[in-house]
Amino acid sequence: MGLSPRELASLRNTLADATVKCAERGLYQSSKWAAELMNSLPDFEEEEANLDPPEEQIPSPIYTPNLDPSEAALEARELPKYLLAKSFFDCHEYDRCASVFIPDTLLSSVLQSKPDGAPPTPKGKGKEKASSASTFFSSPRAPAISQKSLFLALYAKFLAGEKRKNEEAEMVMGPHDHGSVINKELLVVGRLLSAWFEAKTPQDEESIRAAQRGELPDTPESQGWLEYLYGMVLAREKSEDLAMKYLVRSVHKYQFNWGCWLEMTSLISRPEHLSRTVDACPEHLISYMFHLHSSLELYQQSPALAQNLDKLYSIFPHSPFLLTCNALLSYHSKDLLAAEQHFSRLLASHPRRLDSLDHYSNILYVLNNRPKLAFLAHLCSSVDKFRPESCVVIGNYYSLISMHEKAVQYFRRALTLDKSCLSAWTLMGHEYVELKNTHAAIESYRRAVDVNRRDYRAWYGLGQTYEMLEMHTYSLHYYKMAAGLRPWDGKMWMAVGTCLQRMEKEREAIKALKRALLADAYYETGSSFGSGGELMGSRSATGHLDPEILLQIASLYDALGEEEEAKSYMELCMRQEDGTGAEGGDAMAESVRIHNDSPPASDDGAVDEEQGGREGTGVTAATSKARMWLAKFAMRTHDYDTATQLAMELCQDGVEVEEAKALVREVRARIYALEPGSDGAH
Amino acid sequence: MARYLTPAKIGLLVLIELYTEEAIPHDAILPVLSFITSNLVDRDTHNRSCNTDDKSAWANAERTISLVVSIKDFEKLLGSYPFLMGFPGRRLWDQFLGKMWDLNSLNAMHAFLANLPRLLAKTAKELKHEAGGGTPEPEVGIKISRNSLFGLFIRRVGSELGRLQWHDTTELWKSFVQYRQPTAHYLRRKLPGFERLSFDEVLSTAEGQEWDAESVSRLTFIAYDGILAGEHASALPVSTSDVEALLEFQIEQMQKYGARVAPDLRQQLDILLRESVSIPSLAHYLNFLNAWQAGDYATAFDLLHRYFDYAMHSEHQSSYQYGLMNHAVLQADFGCYKEAYEAMLETVTTARENKDMRCLNFALNWLFQFEQSRPYLVSQLRSRDDDSNGVLGTSRKILAYLRVNAKDAKMWPLYCTVWLSEAKLCLLNGESTATAVENMVRSSHLALKYNVKGVMGTQALFWSAYWDRTGLAYLAGLVSEVFLQCHMGNAAFDDELNHTWVLASGLVRKGRYDEGLQALESLDENSLRSLKTSQLWYKYRGILKLQRDLRHNNLRGAEQLLYQLLQSRTDDMSLEMACLIDSLHIEYLTQRGDIQGAFTKTNAALAKFREENRDLALRVDMLLRKVKLLSLAGRPQRGFSVAINAVNIAWRARLVLQLWDALGVLSSILVSFGEFDAASQILIAVIPRAIETDSLLLVAQLYAYLADAWMGLAGQEPPKSTKRTEHMTAALAAVNKAFDYYSSIEDIGKQCEMMAKKAMIMKLSGDMELAADYAAAYVSLKKTAEVLSSGGS
Repeated sequence: MGLSPRELASLRNTLADATVKCAERGLYQSSKWAAELMNSLPDFEEEEANLDPPEEQIPSPIYTPNLDPSEAALEARELPKYLLAKSFFDCHEYDRCASVFIPDTLLSSVLQSKPDGAPPTPKGKGKEKASSASTFFSSPRAPAISQKSLFLALYAKFLAGEKRKNEEAEMVMGPHDHGSVINKELLVVGRLLSAWFEAKTPQDEESIRAAQRGELPDTPESQGWLEYLYGMVLAREKSEDLAMKYLVRSVHKYQFNWGCWLEMTSLISRPEHLSRTVDACPEHLISYMFHLHSSLELYQQSPALAQNLDKLYSIFPHSPFLLTCNALLSYHSKDLLAAEQHFSRLLASHPRRLDSLDHYSNILYVLNNRPKLAFLAHLCSSVDKFRPESCVVIGNYYSLISMHEKAVQYFRRALTLDKSCLSAWTLMGHEYVELKNTHAAIESYRRAVDVNRRDYRAWYGLGQTYEMLEMHTYSLHYYKMAAGLRPWDGKMWMAVGTCLQRMEKEREAIKALKRALLADAYYETGSSFGSGGELMGSRSATGHLDPEILLQIASLYDALGEEEEAKSYMELCMRQEDGTGAEGGDAMAESVRIHNDSPPASDDGAVDEEQGGREGTGVTAATSKARMWLAKFAMRTHDYDTATQLAMELCQDGVEVEEAKALVREVRARIYALEPGSDGAH
Repeated sequence: MARYLTPAKIGLLVLIELYTEEAIPHDAILPVLSFITSNLVDRDTHNRSCNTDDKSAWANAERTISLVVSIKDFEKLLGSYPFLMGFPGRRLWDQFLGKMWDLNSLNAMHAFLANLPRLLAKTAKELKHEAGGGTPEPEVGIKISRNSLFGLFIRRVGSELGRLQWHDTTELWKSFVQYRQPTAHYLRRKLPGFERLSFDEVLSTAEGQEWDAESVSRLTFIAYDGILAGEHASALPVSTSDVEALLEFQIEQMQKYGARVAPDLRQQLDILLRESVSIPSLAHYLNFLNAWQAGDYATAFDLLHRYFDYAMHSEHQSSYQYGLMNHAVLQADFGCYKEAYEAMLETVTTARENKDMRCLNFALNWLFQFEQSRPYLVSQLRSRDDDSNGVLGTSRKILAYLRVNAKDAKMWPLYCTVWLSEAKLCLLNGESTATAVENMVRSSHLALKYNVKGVMGTQALFWSAYWDRTGLAYLAGLVSEVFLQCHMGNAAFDDELNHTWVLASGLVRKGRYDEGLQALESLDENSLRSLKTSQLWYKYRGILKLQRDLRHNNLRGAEQLLYQLLQSRTDDMSLEMACLIDSLHIEYLTQRGDIQGAFTKTNAALAKFREENRDLALRVDMLLRKVKLLSLAGRPQRGFSVAINAVNIAWRARLVLQLWDALGVLSSILVSFGEFDAASQILIAVIPRAIETDSLLLVAQLYAYLADAWMGLAGQEPPKSTKRTEHMTAALAAVNKAFDYYSSIEDIGKQCEMMAKKAMIMKLSGDMELAADYAAAYVSLKKTAEVLSSGGS
C-alpha cells in the first residue's frame, strides 16, 4: 500500500513534529525513533517532482504551536524558565531541572502529607479519598504551569530517582545485589501526577459514573504526555493494570510517542493480552508497528504478521526498525539463514547502528559462524565498547569459543551498563551453567525472569538447571512456564515430557511428548507460510517426526505395559529412517531442510519442493533402538521371520552388532527347536 | 597499548609453528631458531662478553625496535631459503607469508593464539590420561618442551591472551593487519586469488554477495579506522613489555656502564614511547638519568621527583630512603655537597628506622668515600653542627661497622669495597704495604668467590697505583692493560677512562705525548656524552697537554691550559688530580721564573696537606718540590733538613719513586756542600733503580746531578791529572745520558742546559773543536726551543 504524495508529506511533517516534541520533553529515544522513521520514508526529491508547488509557505513543523490556546499561552510565558530547565536536563542535572518548576517545599509537603504510603488510586475507592487529595493539593499546586513544563520537571525527577537507584545498586551479582533497590522519587512523582489528574477531571456526572464503572475518568485538557509518565510510574510501582489504562489513554491522545508503546510492550506478557490491548488502541499506523513489535517480543510468528510487516515496508522502505523486525520474524520462525541475511543487510546499510545487534549475535552463535561473529564484535567494540549490546555481542563470541569466564565478564559488564538488559541475564545464566555454577545460573535466570517474564529461554534455563540438580518438581514448573510461552516449540514440550517421565508420571509424559510431536510438525509447515493446518492431521504420513520423541513415547507405553501402542510408535520411529527419498546422512538432511526453508520465495512451490525432497533421518541411535525393541518383541511373539529380518538389518547398519548377532543365533536355535527336520531353512 | 602481545610476537609464533611442522629446511633451522631466541631472550641475561663492545649491545636494542616496527626483518631472515614442500622458486618467506595471511579474520587469529598449546609436549600426566592407564605412546613430530625457552614463550602468550580484554584483542588484530599489510603487494603478484580485502575473510566473502562495494568500504572504515588507507599513522604495535624491557636495558646501560644512549636510537625510542598511552614510570627514571648525565641539574631534579611521585603508588613507603639516596648522589654530582651530605645523613637515619640494612650500608659507604675524597668539606660540615658527630663516628669506625655489616647482609660487592678501602687507607697513611696487600688479597678473593665483577676496575686501579708507588711502573701499566683487555665488558665507563689515563700518564712519563693523547682520544665518543665523564676527560687531556707544553717550555700555551684547569673548583675533582694540577702550577711558575710565587704556593699546599692528613706520596712530592725551589733560588743548603725528612718518610712508606727523587735532591744538596764523593756514591747506587721506574724525567735529573758530582770531583783533582780527565769523561757521559733522557721527554730547556754543559766540559778538557760543535748544536737547539715554546711542533 503506497501513500499519495500528500499523505506522505503530512506523515513526514507529523513525524518531524513528533521528533521535536519528544526532544522537547527529554524523551530522546522516542525522538530518535521518530526521526529514524521519518528518514526511512521514500526519498524526498522524487516526491518533490510529483508534488504540486505549494501555494503558501508551509511553516516549519518545529514551530508548531500548541493547539490548546491556554497551554500555548502558558508555554509562551514560561519560555525562559523552560529553556533553563531544559538546559539543566540536557546537562543531566535532573534535580536542578525539576526544581525550576516545582519548589522543593512542595515536594516535602507531598511526602509528609500521606504517611500511609500508598499512592492515591482514583480507581474504586471513590470520593472521600479524591476529595481529601484535592483539598490538600489545591493550595500547594497553585502555580499553574503548562503540561510540557510539568512533564519535563516530573520526568527529570523520575530520572533523578533512576540515576540514584543505579548508583545505589550493588555490583552485578554481588553479595548485596538483590535487585531490590527502588526508585525513591516514584512516590512523589506519582502523587503529584494523580493530584494533577484529579484536578483536571471535570467534576460532572459522566466522569463520576465512569469512576464508578472502574474506568478512568476522562481529562479532556491533557495531551497524553503526562498519562505516559504516570503510566510509567505506576508500572514501576507494579500496579500494572492501571498503568496500562493510562498508557492506552496516552496513545489515544498522542500516537507518536514510541516510548509509550514500548512501555506497553513491556507490560504485556501473553499474546491474548496483546490482542486485547491492540483492540483498545486507536487504529493507527503506529499501532500496527506496536503490534508487530510486541508480537516479536512475545516470540510470535504468523503469516498475518508477515503481511502486516510487508504493508509497513511499503510505507517506510528503508526503515532499519522494520528490517530488524523482519529479521526477528525469520528468526522466530526458525529460519536462521534468512534472519542472518536480513541482519547482514541491516549491518551493511547502518553500520553504526548497534540497536538489536545482540539478536544478530545470537543468530550467528546458533549458526556457529565464528569469523562473522568475531567481525561483528570487532565492529561493535569499535563503534562503542560501552554499550550493553556490544558487550552482549562480545560475550556471545567468547561463549562460542568456549571462553566462558570472559563471556560472563562481558555479560556482567552489559548488566552494569543496563540492569534491565534482558538477554544478558539469560545468557549469563547459560554461561554459569557451562561453568557448572548452578546457583549463580539460577540467580541469573531468576533475575532475567524478574526483568521480563516473557523470556522463555530463561524459564527453560531454570528448568534445565534444576534438572541438573535433580529437583524435578521445580524443573517441571519452569518447563511448563516456558512451554506456556512457546506452545509451538517442541523442545519445550519434550523437556516437560522428559521431566514428567523422571517423576514417573507416564501418562502425562506421553501427553506432553505427543504435544511435542505436534509442535514440531507445526513448525515444519509453519515456516512455509500459508499452508499451515492440514498437514497436522496427517502428521504420521508426511510430517517429519523426531525419532527420539517417538522412541521415548514408545518406551513409555512399554513401561505402562501397553505393548500395542508401544509397537506402533516403535514402528513409526523406525519408519522415520527412510522417508521417501534416498537415505542421506542426518546432517545433510538437516542442512537441506534449512536451505529449503530460507527465503519464502513462493508459498506452494516451497511446500512441493519440501515434500518432494523430503528425506529420512537415516539410521540413528533412536531408530536402531526401536528396531532392536521390535526384534525382541517379535521374538516374544514368536514372529521369528520378522525378528530375523530386523536383526539382520541391525547387523547391516552396524549398530549394536553383537547383540543383533546373538539375537539371530537365538532365533535360529528356536526355529531349529521348533522344526528339527528343516535345518538351514534360511 | 598492548601489554605483551604484538604482531611481531605473532610472527615469531608462526615461525615456531613452521619449525614444529618441520617445514624449515635443514640449513635454515639454525638461523631461524637463533633469530627467534635472540628476540625472546631477556636483555638482562644478555651479558656483554669481553669482546663485544658497546655498539653491539645497542644493536640488540635496535633490532628489537626494528622487529616491532616492520615485518621486513622476517623477510631478511627467510628470503634466502627454499620452500620445502612447495613449487620450485618459492621461498620460505612465501610459506611464512602464507601462514600469516591464513590468519584472515579476527577469529582465525584468536583461534591460532588460543590453540598454541598444541605445539607443546604433553606432560606425563596428560599422556597417561590419554592412554587411559596404558603405556603412553611418545608423541610424533617436533614438540616443544614446556619449560624450554619457546615453551615458556608459548605459555606466556597463552596467559596473556587470557588477560586481554576484547577491545585489546581487536587492537591487536588491527595492528596485526597493519603490520602485515606491506606484504600485500608482494602477494598480489604471486597469488592469483589475492584481493584487496583479503586481509579480512568476512569482508572479502561478503563483498559482492551480501554487501555492495560502498557498504563494504564503509564497514571497513569503521572497523579498521582507515588504517589501511594510511589515513593516519596509528600507534606502532609495541607492547608495554617491550617498552619496559627497552627502558630497563637503557637504564642498566646508563647506571652500570655510565654510557649514554646514542642520539638516533634515542629518537626511535622516543617515538615508541610517545605512541604508548600509558608511560611506564621507568620512563621518567630514564629521562632523569638522561638529564643527569647531560648535566641539566634543574631538569634532572624535577624528573627525579616526578619519578618518585609516579612510583609512589606502585611501591611502598620504604622506597623513601632510596629516594633520598638518589637525591644525595644527584646533589653531590652537581656540586651541592652540603645538601648531598645532609640528604645522605637523613638516608642513614631513615634506613636505620626502617631497618633497611642494604640501604644503610650503601649510604655509609657513600659517606665514607665522600669523606675520603673531600675531607675538608666534611670537617667543615661537621663543625657546623655538632649533632652529626653523634650520628657518624670517624671514618675508621664507619669502615669497621661496614665490614661487619656487609658480611652479615651478604652484600659482597660492598664487602669487597670495604676491604679495598681499608687497603687504600693503609697506603695513603703510609702504613705497612704488607697489610695493604693483605687487605687487597682479601678483597680480590671475595671478588672471585662471589663473582663481583663491578669492583674489578677499582681493584685494578689500586694495583696499578700500588705498583707505581713501589716503583714498578711497568707492572702498573700492565695491570691497567689487563683490565682494559679483559674486564671492560662489566665495568663502568669511568673505570675505563681512569685506566686509560693511567696508561696515558705512563706514556707521558716516557715522553710519548702523542701516543698518550691518542689513547685518551680513542675512547668511545658516545660514552663521553655524559657530562661528568666528559669533563674528567677534558681535564685529563688538558693535564697531558699542559705537561707537554711545560716540557716544551711553551709558557703561553701552558698558561692558557693552566688557567682553564684552575677554573674548575677543587671540589669537583679527586684529590690526586687537584694535587697534580697544583704541582703543575708550581712548575709553571718556576719556569716563568716566579720562584717567590712558586714557593708560597708550595708552602700553602704543604700546610694544607699536613692539616688534612693527606696521601704521604703527595706530601713527599711537595716537600721535594720545595727543596728544588730552594736550590733553584741558590739556597740549596736550607733545604737539607727537609730533604732528609722527605727521604725518611719515603723510606718508611716504601714510596720508591719518591725515595729516589729525594735521594737525588739530597745528593744535589751534598754537591752544594762540596761532598761530591758522597753525592756520587748515592747517585750511582740510586740511578739503576730509578731507571726501573720508567720515570725518564727523574733519571735525567739524577744523571744531571751525577754529572755535577763528577765535575765537582774533577775540580778537586789537580788540573791536567789523569784523575781529573777520568772524572771529566764520566761527567761527560752522565751529561750525555741526561741529555738523551731529557730529549726523549722533549724537555727542551734542560736539553739546552745539558748541551751547554757539554760544551763547557769540552772547553775545560781543551777540545775546542768539539766545544764549538756543541756550542753550534746548542744554538740550533735554542732555535728549536724557541719554535717549540711558541707552540709549534
